[in-house]
Amino acid sequence: MKGVVFNILEDMVVEKGGVVLWQQLLNRAGVEGSYISVDTYEDAELFKIVHEVQQALDIPLEDVIRSFGDFMFAKLAERYPMFVEAEGDLFGFLKSIEPVIHLEVQKLYTEANLPTIDCANGDNNRLVMNYRSPRKLCILAEGLIQGAATYYQTPINIEHDICMHRESDHCELSISKVNV
Amino acid sequence: MSEELELYKQAYERERKARLAAEDVLETRSRELFLKNQELEASLVQLKAQQDALIRSEKLATLGTLVSGVAHEINNPLSFVHSNVDTLGQHSDAIAKLYPLLIESLAVDESERPAFAERVFKFLEEEDLEYFTDELDELVSDTNDGVQRVKEIVRNLRSFARMDAQVRTEADLNEGIRSTLKLINNQISANTRVNLSLEEIPPVLCNPGEINQVLLNILVNAAQALEGQREPTLEITSKENQGWVEISIADNGKGMTKEIQQRIFEPFYTTKDIGKGTGLGLSISYGIISHHQGELLVDSAPNKGTTFTLRVPIQTR
Repeated sequence: MKGVVFNILEDMVVEKGGVVLWQQLLNRAGVEGSYISVDTYEDAELFKIVHEVQQALDIPLEDVIRSFGDFMFAKLAERYPMFVEAEGDLFGFLKSIEPVIHLEVQKLYTEANLPTIDCANGDNNRLVMNYRSPRKLCILAEGLIQGAATYYQTPINIEHDICMHRESDHCELSISKVNV
Repeated sequence: MSEELELYKQAYERERKARLAAEDVLETRSRELFLKNQELEASLVQLKAQQDALIRSEKLATLGTLVSGVAHEINNPLSFVHSNVDTLGQHSDAIAKLYPLLIESLAVDESERPAFAERVFKFLEEEDLEYFTDELDELVSDTNDGVQRVKEIVRNLRSFARMDAQVRTEADLNEGIRSTLKLINNQISANTRVNLSLEEIPPVLCNPGEINQVLLNILVNAAQALEGQREPTLEITSKENQGWVEISIADNGKGMTKEIQQRIFEPFYTTKDIGKGTGLGLSISYGIISHHQGELLVDSAPNKGTTFTLRVPIQTR
């Protein structure tokens, strides 16, 4: 996992609970704890810290991961504004993940194990995203999509009936715009 | 204590900011490097294509040298074969007419013999057949010689022309020297003394066409270095030397300065007039010999001459 993910997790924890809490979580997780965005670290290390976050907050793990995805999107948009600025709306942005963002990431980090994402328009108000990754971080993807929706000020509802955690080879995230 | 904590917090924030800035610089530089790398890769592909095109053009230049040599070598025998066949053709009509006379002579009466004989002699004289029969042997043997010479050139050409074959095979490099010499015979001025001292050498596993291309390059260069020299001499030797076959080609021509010698294997370096040399002959020759795990050495002095030594390891199948 890229170091930037660890950095953003740190930002989230520090924002919500302070530097002290982050240091405590790192100690409890038994990890070295110094991460630079451009480097790559073991996935297991991230999962250990996330587990400690969940323990500290005492909320379901899925909620922790989903919130982290939401938070992560805002931070990524801050760091790499060109990708969100290039697309005018949510669905346009989601469709650009695979051909634009992943392509650019792959150029810089050939070792990055990126998920495969393909999007198909149901209609103007609905988009179906198929997610495939050996990491099975579909909940994080849900959070990230939610973060993108917030960025583009487009309220949405996500249905996630087909899931890799329920013995499917991929996850199907059906994203519908909600009229408010 | 709380002030101290506040300062620590500020320090943490500053460090974090500095780290983010450093990472940003790193990513920007990485992206620049990636783009530069892409440009370089594209240039490399383009350069390789250009290099291939140049090697092809050098092969064509070699082929051009060969073709002019072969054309010249074939032209000589061909012209006298042509002239002999022409003479034979002119007389074949007369011989055809002679045959019915011969048959007729068998039925001639005794009394008519003198008149018939006179007719025959007149015919022989008119058709110049007496001279023709004297010359016939020579005409046939000269024509045969000419045909043999053309056959020999074709044979040499065959042994030379395996230039595009990529397979390595065991070859006698002495044969390569002889056939290449014959093919470029017209490029060596008539007053050049060519001393061949070829020892018995074992066959070498090589691409004979490529080795011949090297020999041709060096021999043509030597012939050009000898132009206008007094008593031009070309010494060609071959020998086996501790696991290597060594061929040396020495001329007593213009020679080269040390500065020129240092550059002769560089691509595009040429001392010849514009249009006379691609400047690739020796650089390609050097590449060919290197691919054969061999060595191409030069020793030269101005106004003394130049010796190229080609060393190829003896490898058999």
